Amino acid sequence: MSSTDKTLSGIPNTVLAGTFTCAWCGLTVSAVAGDGTRRNHCPSCLHSQHVLDHVEGGPSECHGRMSPISVAVLRTGDWMVIHRCVRCDELTSNPICTDDNQLILMRMAVRPLAQPPFPLEAFGDL
Amino acid sequence: MPRRANNSSRRTRRTRRPQRHKDVLHRQGGHRRHDFRCVGCRLDVSLDAPGTSHRNHCPNCLASLHVDLRIPGDRAAACRGRMEPLSMSVRPDGEWMIIHQCRSCGELSANRIAGDDNALTLVRLALKPLRDTSIAHRTLLQL
Repeated sequence: MSSTDKTLSGIPNTVLAGTFTCAWCGLTVSAVAGDGTRRNHCPSCLHSQHVLDHVEGGPSECHGRMSPISVAVLRTGDWMVIHRCVRCDELTSNPICTDDNQLILMRMAVRPLAQPPFPLEAFGDL
Repeated sequence: MPRRANNSSRRTRRTRRPQRHKDVLHRQGGHRRHDFRCVGCRLDVSLDAPGTSHRNHCPNCLASLHVDLRIPGDRAAACRGRMEPLSMSVRPDGEWMIIHQCRSCGELSANRIAGDDNALTLVRLALKPLRDTSIAHRTLLQL
């Protein structure tokens, strides 16, 4: 990768470069998705990296791996992936891409129902 | 609500680790511990929650208030916005976590559910991604 841009040294290379390597599965991913939007998580394992400070904007010095923990639904019906940084516990939400791994997305969506804290049989009567 | 009495529940209860110790500040006189009225449904909520040492959301509508920054009870956030439940997450040990999002600043936070939380509201929140069937339909077609 030859995209070490010295003029924008404050921004990490992984943000500027055309590709990034997934911190979890090692897949080399192009930073721009097929539909032209910028990608911020690996389409294969949905893991991300904590390179942007989401509170104040700009780069973050954490660089921790961010693992997907949940799927949220906006009022518009779009799905968002909630990421959690394994180093600093920061939470972020990112929109999903069309080529994201649907199996992992569905697995996160149905995960609460697989381990309910109370019996779900009672809801059959409602 | 009765506890499930089959084998899987016994197994998870045995392997579940106890709650991690947290320095909840109201125990140490950090701020005045008091009951509160929910910002969403105006329910008067007592602070004694079964299963958790620090209640941070309304057991009826699951709404919360953006008052704490990192430590439960530190009251360090200046926002004071209303936090609404966004989605449900599951920890590796099977504990349900509510992801709250602040309506005024967009901050996210994850909170454990309490023992007296409204089960119907919890399940409705957990089923939210599956309500719209188009994505689920597309997923099942791709498998």
